[in-house]
Amino acid sequence: MNFARFVERIEGLKYISDKMELTGSRVRRYLMQMPFSTDRDVLEKHFDILQKACGILSDHNAGSAVMQLLHLFSRVHDIQGTLEALKEKQTLDEVELFEIKYFSVLCADAAKLCEQTGFTYENLHSLQEAFILLDPDNTGTVSFSIYDSYSKQLAKTRQQAAATDLATDPGLWDQLHDTIQREELVVREKLSLKLSVLYPSLQENFDSLARLEIWFAKASLALSYSMVRPATVPEDQPCVLSVEGMVNPAIADNLQKAGETFQPVSVTLNREPCLLTGANMSGKTVVLKTLALIQALTQFSFFVPAQKASIPLVKDVFLVIGDKQDQYRGLSSFAAEMLDLDRIMAKMAKGTKMLVLADEPARTTNPAEGAAILCALIEFFEKNKVMSLISTHYGDLGLSCRKLRVVGFQGTRVEGRLDPLMMNRYMNYDLVEDKGGSVPLEALNIARLLGVDGSFIDMAKKYLK
Amino acid sequence: MPFTDQIIRYGSLSVVGLGKNTGKTECLRYVMERLNQMQKVTAVTSVGIDGEGVDRVTATPKPEIFLEKGMYFTTVASYYTSKRFRAEICEVLPYTTVLGKMVTARALEKGKMILAGPSDTSLLQNWVREMPQKYPVDVCLVDGAISRLSPASPAVTESMILAVGAAYSLNMKTLAERTRFIFDTVHLPVAGGSLRKKLENITRGIRGITAKGEITDPGVESALLPAQVREVLEKCENRIYVPGAVSNALLKTLAGGKEAGKTELYIRDFSRIFAEPRVFYSFLREGGRIFQLFSTRLLAVCVNPVSPQGYNLNSVELVDRIQREVDIPVYDIKKMEG
Repeated sequence: MNFARFVERIEGLKYISDKMELTGSRVRRYLMQMPFSTDRDVLEKHFDILQKACGILSDHNAGSAVMQLLHLFSRVHDIQGTLEALKEKQTLDEVELFEIKYFSVLCADAAKLCEQTGFTYENLHSLQEAFILLDPDNTGTVSFSIYDSYSKQLAKTRQQAAATDLATDPGLWDQLHDTIQREELVVREKLSLKLSVLYPSLQENFDSLARLEIWFAKASLALSYSMVRPATVPEDQPCVLSVEGMVNPAIADNLQKAGETFQPVSVTLNREPCLLTGANMSGKTVVLKTLALIQALTQFSFFVPAQKASIPLVKDVFLVIGDKQDQYRGLSSFAAEMLDLDRIMAKMAKGTKMLVLADEPARTTNPAEGAAILCALIEFFEKNKVMSLISTHYGDLGLSCRKLRVVGFQGTRVEGRLDPLMMNRYMNYDLVEDKGGSVPLEALNIARLLGVDGSFIDMAKKYLK
Repeated sequence: MPFTDQIIRYGSLSVVGLGKNTGKTECLRYVMERLNQMQKVTAVTSVGIDGEGVDRVTATPKPEIFLEKGMYFTTVASYYTSKRFRAEICEVLPYTTVLGKMVTARALEKGKMILAGPSDTSLLQNWVREMPQKYPVDVCLVDGAISRLSPASPAVTESMILAVGAAYSLNMKTLAERTRFIFDTVHLPVAGGSLRKKLENITRGIRGITAKGEITDPGVESALLPAQVREVLEKCENRIYVPGAVSNALLKTLAGGKEAGKTELYIRDFSRIFAEPRVFYSFLREGGRIFQLFSTRLLAVCVNPVSPQGYNLNSVELVDRIQREVDIPVYDIKKMEG
């Protein structure tokens, strides 16, 4: 599975990828094709590279070379089509030949700059051979033309043509220019054939430059969000996910715009289901989304938005938010959610190691059956030892599984109406272990603070047993 | 001819025609030859989809431009590769247009080429700015267009020549009046530096300008409907900025307002005016004022008395007739070439 698929499934990943400073669709295409890695050695090696890139970006001594390298990325053209043509041994046109010459110059510059900055992880091949082929007169410049020195016949015909006046002898002029075009084609065919031998190096360099840019974009992202290198948990050690002080970048940015700050949250998960309870607006969904994001980022070789993170590697991450109703397929939100869970459970039963984050499953049906479905889910997850966090408002389920509770609302003293973004100030988003089975009953209090009509709330209280 | 010295001084020129076959290409060619004789290196391009050479729509070919040896030119890659003269590619531009990739190249010998250059104003602006930085270029030339269809404004160059020809109309009075109108719009006063800085990056919607020079956004998307214009006038004071098209409806509504005499309209440049001359002048007569953010200097008018259908206007009379309307030199292009 690649990055593009995860962007569709894990909310927040798109935000992260949009925040990356990439120079164009050429690189974004590459990013989208990056694989979800489950290989610890590969990831640790990637994190070493990323760490090095972070070091280079924050090292002021490397400044000028880094700036030049970053600027160079924007000068790379998307020549994938030309490369495909070379691979297929097609004949390039003059502009494409120029592009190859230009690209080989850029690669030489990039290699030099990488060496200067000390970033030695992407091996760029020398394309000197291609450059020499496209610079027969040894001018050393990047400009390109079908030079006379490629063909004696071409040079001769061009001389004749130059001596012919179009106005006085159009017939001969046309004839000579037709010959020139034919001869130019022969030259282009020969050049293209010689260049096609170099296709592997050209393609590898083209990919390397995209990867190089992605490394630096990831590093720059890590620096701007104070991200940390996650520790990956080895296979032979207990499978414990532990994140300290995690932050959701998208929400943090939004809060910052409103002059508020995101309260970092810590959480640990084992290979078992864990229930998450808390009042409305206490950030349960955010915890789930952020965890999913951190797990995905880790396995796509990004640093993560937390103070410290230790991440066991999984084969898949599922974020079930339950708002995926699909009227076009005739599915209600309940139906869509059930089908989602069924698909995930089928994978579980096969023993796939995964992280599941489910937001209030079965909340869209009647509480009696909803609670039953939830209990069965927990039992199924328990049986299959699935690392999972499941938020719910259902209380007193009589389940023995681990439970976390958001400390929650600390604003009983608050009077009057509260802006939803200000809720942040009265909410403690910390998670605590919860031994009891009850859930907080603060829905009406919160509705009141949001400014919902008081008489309506009193009416609701009447029905509260 | 005197204006070549001016062109060199200003460093950039666009040649625009009142319509197709008005002698624009001849005029451009004349300028290129003169500059070449003066040993000046020139770079030339054309606004992307030329309003006149609607080659994609009517399949009539755009005229080829004669290039002198040593000239730089920017055009679409597919036109470039079908050239019949020697040239070297210097650069593939980092953006593509509807017609595909664009290249900048240098002619290694004389030749002819169809030019289709950057397709919008900011790209064209960059081209004019960057060519002399990247290459040893003395003068940038733009084969321009004044047309509703042209997305790029000729006002990006420091100077301009207007080509007026019998192909536009065989009526001398019409030609003279049209020329006068362009002349007047080009010479609209220029907005003050600080106001220009605030407005130049706003290219959509409508803005109000308060007495203190602050910019307000009435939240109206365009100024095409009278109701929209009235809404803007209600929300803003008498100074408004319209970056898009200045239509008949806009000027009529402004002229019909309660304080028409105090209205100040700010526009990007003369090429955004699509209102008819009588509406334009009637707005000014009511006391309204129009300011432009970007201006260009109109150096000369070149007339082409020959229409493609074969009619010939009297050259001396036509030059004289137009000369009476404008206080810049007017030349007959055919006589200049001879």
